[in-house]
Amino acid sequence: MIWRTIPAVASMLLLAGCPRQALFVVMPNAEGGGVGAITVEDGKTVTTLDQPYAAAETRAGSSAPIEESRGNISVIFRSAIAAQPILPHRFRLYFILGSPELTPESQSVYRAVFDDIKKRPVYEIEVIGFTDTLGDLNYNQALSLARAAAIRDTLVRDGLDRQAISIAGRGKRDLLVPTADQTPDPRNRRVEITVR
Amino acid sequence: MAGRKKLRLALWLAAAVLIATAGVPSAAEPSPIAQIKKVTGQAVVLRSGERRPAIVGEMLFVKDVIETGSDGGIGITFIDNTVFSAGPSSQIALDEFQFDSNDFRGAMLADMRQGTLAVVSGDIARSTPGAMKVKTPTAILGVRGTTFAVQVYGDH
Repeated sequence: MIWRTIPAVASMLLLAGCPRQALFVVMPNAEGGGVGAITVEDGKTVTTLDQPYAAAETRAGSSAPIEESRGNISVIFRSAIAAQPILPHRFRLYFILGSPELTPESQSVYRAVFDDIKKRPVYEIEVIGFTDTLGDLNYNQALSLARAAAIRDTLVRDGLDRQAISIAGRGKRDLLVPTADQTPDPRNRRVEITVR
Repeated sequence: MAGRKKLRLALWLAAAVLIATAGVPSAAEPSPIAQIKKVTGQAVVLRSGERRPAIVGEMLFVKDVIETGSDGGIGITFIDNTVFSAGPSSQIALDEFQFDSNDFRGAMLADMRQGTLAVVSGDIARSTPGAMKVKTPTAILGVRGTTFAVQVYGDH
């Protein structure tokens, strides 16, 4: 048994003597989302990292999981993280049923978009429309795009740069609340504004 | 009378041309894939063999290479809301990028040649598992979700 482990140990020691070529680390998610995960493929092995601060390195072309202290990780990536711009922020708007008017809560969310933009040296805005499942795919695709265009026009009227705004429609293909087909649901009738 | 008719026709034609060309990028014109959002110290963009200083607000295109000096840093956001930020002495090539904002599907390959890079992934990694990759000289990183960091050492 011991004879079998010797080559493995010896090759590990040999690799440890080679300089590190690359380091890969899963960082904790910024906005409390699910745990992130990456895979590292060196052509022979695939290492999966799926916990915060899980790390792998390559030496002599071979990758393997390693322990790297949080202290070292924060020193190594301090400048890269300091260079991070303000992350994209998403705002969700709902409409009063059968009306192009925003609900009162959504009117204050709409105003928050302008506060967010003020914090950024430059901005781009993406407006995406969504519908519920009432009606067919094509109808909802057109409707979602029309909703996005209407919000874009309002943003421009309120002083934002038209060139910085892009619009898209997702129709009924991306429900916030899963429902059966042909189901009216005000929570799915929405527009999402992403500021980045 | 005939003159006025001609004028009206010319106006209509001009309007038609304006409508036909407004906001529709021609097929030959590449569309931007990212925007520079933050720059510290020395940072440059290499585009078709030309080096230009990285400036906040400038757009980036597929095949651009971003590079930072020994005191530099750069932060960019892609059109799928992926965020890259690189520390000093880094070189990253934006090799491949496709994204459809209507169905959120796409693919992305960045070539991390040297330095440090922190990433918050966006819509491509979320909607198309396996479609976002970061290549390094020794291994390929596949992205399943959100936040990670890579360091590639200069000597190999």
